[in-house]
Amino acid sequence: MSAPILVVAEGSDGRLGGPTLESISVARTLGGGPVIGFATGRAANELASDFGRFGVDRVLIVPNLGSDAVPVGVHANAVAFAADHVGADTVLFGGSIFGRDLAGHLAVRWNAAVATGVIDARRDGAIVEVRRPVFGGRATETRRLEGPHVVLAIRLHAFAAPSEDPGTPLVDVVVPPPVLPALLAPRRTSVEPSTAGAGPSLGDASIVVSGGRGVRAAENFQLVEELAASLGAAVGASRAVTDAGWRPSSFQVGQTGRSVSPQLYVAVGISGAIQHLVGMLSSRVIVAINSDPSAPIFRVADYGIVGDLFQILPALTAEIRRVRGS
Amino acid sequence: MVDFSLSADQESLRDLARKFARSDMAPHAAECDRTPRFPEEIYRKAYELGLMNLNVPVEFGGSGLKVFEQCLIVEELAHACGGMTTSVIANCLALEPILLGGSPEQQERFLKPFCAEYNFASFGLTEPSGGSDAGGLQTRARREGDHYVLDGEKCFITNAPHASLFTVFATVDPSRRTKGITAFVVPRTARGVSTGKDEEKMGHRASSTSTVRFDGVEVPVNDRLGEEGEGFSIAMRTLDQTRTPIGALATGIAQAALDLAAAYSLKRQSFGKPISEHQAIQIKLANMAQAVHAARLLTWQAAWTIDQGGKGTLESSIAKCFASDSALHVADEAIQTFGGYGYMKEYPVEKLLRDAKLTQIYEGANEIQRTVIARELLRRYA
Amino acid sequence: MEIVVCIKPVPEAETRLRVAPDGRTLDPEGVKFVLAGYDESALEQALLLKESLPGSKVHAVAYGPAPRTEEVLRAAVALGADLATWVEGPPGVGGDPVAAARALAGAIASVPHDLVLCGKQAGDDEAGIVPPALGELLAAPDFGSVVDLRWDTSASRLTFLRSTEAGGERWESPTPCVIGLQQAWNDPRTAKLPNILKSRKATITKRPMESAPPGPRSEPAKFELPPPRTGARMVEFKTPEEAAQKLVRILREDAKVFP
Repeated sequence: MSAPILVVAEGSDGRLGGPTLESISVARTLGGGPVIGFATGRAANELASDFGRFGVDRVLIVPNLGSDAVPVGVHANAVAFAADHVGADTVLFGGSIFGRDLAGHLAVRWNAAVATGVIDARRDGAIVEVRRPVFGGRATETRRLEGPHVVLAIRLHAFAAPSEDPGTPLVDVVVPPPVLPALLAPRRTSVEPSTAGAGPSLGDASIVVSGGRGVRAAENFQLVEELAASLGAAVGASRAVTDAGWRPSSFQVGQTGRSVSPQLYVAVGISGAIQHLVGMLSSRVIVAINSDPSAPIFRVADYGIVGDLFQILPALTAEIRRVRGS
Repeated sequence: MVDFSLSADQESLRDLARKFARSDMAPHAAECDRTPRFPEEIYRKAYELGLMNLNVPVEFGGSGLKVFEQCLIVEELAHACGGMTTSVIANCLALEPILLGGSPEQQERFLKPFCAEYNFASFGLTEPSGGSDAGGLQTRARREGDHYVLDGEKCFITNAPHASLFTVFATVDPSRRTKGITAFVVPRTARGVSTGKDEEKMGHRASSTSTVRFDGVEVPVNDRLGEEGEGFSIAMRTLDQTRTPIGALATGIAQAALDLAAAYSLKRQSFGKPISEHQAIQIKLANMAQAVHAARLLTWQAAWTIDQGGKGTLESSIAKCFASDSALHVADEAIQTFGGYGYMKEYPVEKLLRDAKLTQIYEGANEIQRTVIARELLRRYA
Repeated sequence: MEIVVCIKPVPEAETRLRVAPDGRTLDPEGVKFVLAGYDESALEQALLLKESLPGSKVHAVAYGPAPRTEEVLRAAVALGADLATWVEGPPGVGGDPVAAARALAGAIASVPHDLVLCGKQAGDDEAGIVPPALGELLAAPDFGSVVDLRWDTSASRLTFLRSTEAGGERWESPTPCVIGLQQAWNDPRTAKLPNILKSRKATITKRPMESAPPGPRSEPAKFELPPPRTGARMVEFKTPEEAAQKLVRILREDAKVFP
């Protein structure tokens, strides 16, 4: 019997989030032992039953980490303990900031080979072979991870959610050993909503609409935001926009901003400097709207419209509203 | 032993210039050309980064670079904008006479406060009646006790509307021709100094150029560089130092033209394939590449000669003349590669042609360079 | 405050990527390496803190092979780092980030360090493993994706804003602490020419390469470039309305990005 695979949950409102569902899919196709869920925090029990929805029949939970908000090292302590408790040889995290930070910790704490941003994983005897985009999606590398343990963080949106297979899992409460006092000293003082306005946040949105220099002025950015709203998309911007102060730097997509990989990326008035491209190239479908037919963005886009964004955007927003409204 | 590789030190200087050129100059090049606009914020940053007084020794607050390193920097800057580069490096030309002809006391007194802040200086040699015939200049300097009185007009003076300091060449006696020419340092604030309107130029439009008038300007004898009659020699030795960087400036423009043309040729389709696959375009690009390559190597060799202590008159004249002629030719061919688009102001290549043109004219017109080359050449056969 | 900044040389953004002859990694031949983007932000952050806290020192630490690792350390000194330590690493590219973290932690543990700053990830491997692994190795709390970091002198605590999927979280933490920076809210400065010349003569403390302990391994097996993009399929139209209708139809029916 192969060693189990531990899938670490993240969720809100007691439901497993997209990143965790994607890791369940990976755990199922990776090959190896049974899939065991892991959840922490006050909602651990609800998350555990949600695991049951996808056929995971055993879940370990740590309902109390000492506080709702603890540094990631405290989570790593709990995950490592749970992984050893069930004799797992593989731990999977979703494609979130939390998952990736935890993966780096666990690699050291649990003595594991690690890869993040994984878009494909398969087991080959004692080795796990993973593929992952590098250089901002301009290349893909395959790495061979050799255990005893393997830790993977999945890339967001790279896998579909698993099919449902409802059941009631067996839930065990485990109690990890205490952590160093220094790890409990930091305090979260407040949680701020996304500064990117209404709609989903850039990091996990499945559609992103970004504006660039071609938008010409802060007040015109509204056109970009209206298009985003019609699509239920997050709003991004090129560096030219955040440098000009039209939008805060939290909107920036690119080399020194956010990297995004949505299902659809719409680049409006963005010429396509490499510093921007490396932040969005791994999007599944890229649409570019630009008045300059020679703009480099058209070389990486799947679909292009050469035209005046001040005319195209209102028409596009209206058309999407019409289609979605019906 | 000949070695064409750059040292790590030289590469780091070139990287600095390249970074500044790409991120600070290039994004504003088209706008400053079109408006036109003298982009003070860019020049101020160039000063703060140490890119403005390249030839002034470190002890006076400059960067203390040899001509070779100056050339590496100038080529990178010019790749982004020839006009801005002209304004950034004009201080080198204006201050060189103080380095060559000034006493230690004068160097300390003029260079230290000047380099300690963001300042422009202008080199005042050319006059409305003639540029190349420096021996025939008309601006008069009359000695009156412990000072001179300057009267006359200089024209096409780079950065003059913004300059706080001028190095001025005037004659104490026109009948003595070159032997009467004398160099002075004149602050902008001296009574009787005035500058004309900003000239409307064909290219280098981010740079600023005007006339400078001297109406009874009193200049203390202490502010004369060298002796009376040494001015012509100071001016010629100055140009020997600064001519080579102009070759580098032209090389930068030519490289930009080649880069644009080559990239465009891969993208632009005609007869069902990229025009880069047509032999006519390939031959064009190959010839352009040869010109750029040769221009750079001539510039490097001239700079190396000067840095080794040689006079470098022949080498620097060849480099400046060849590189500037090449820049015009390569920019012209880049426009031809772009076809109709190249002729449009919306595309960046026509600016390169306009900017390249000046490099054939200023800091010694190419006709003068050829005269010098021929003279140096024939002397070896006489 | 003793601030350590971990920096990494990565191929500059404009690099034309090619596959190495063995097919396993990027071909580093002829590639220009520069200070990684987020690391530049981390260094800028360190310099800003140093300037606001008299008596502080910034110590740049890098792991990797010659000459590129030494070169980025010199670049850090030119920007204002006071000290530089180079932990020699194996040649080539595509190394294991955990090995890098172990090498860096070894160097950091032997010098004063109140605050350890890193870029949240490097632009080449995009692993993002070094900052949390350093937290674990140095037994210090660590936080990634930090966008705003300050030192609260009266409370002797760091205060910072983390960017998360849901928005932001404000935290405060005593030192020592490891921070992975997402982005500087100030533009990273450019080194001045005189400082570049001085940095060429600066002392770089070199720590010898340590042989990797036996244990888990992550090795590059294959490096692939996507097939060249054919360029966008252009939407032909006469009116903006027609462009909108055609694009929406394509997105629904061909690309299937929304119903």
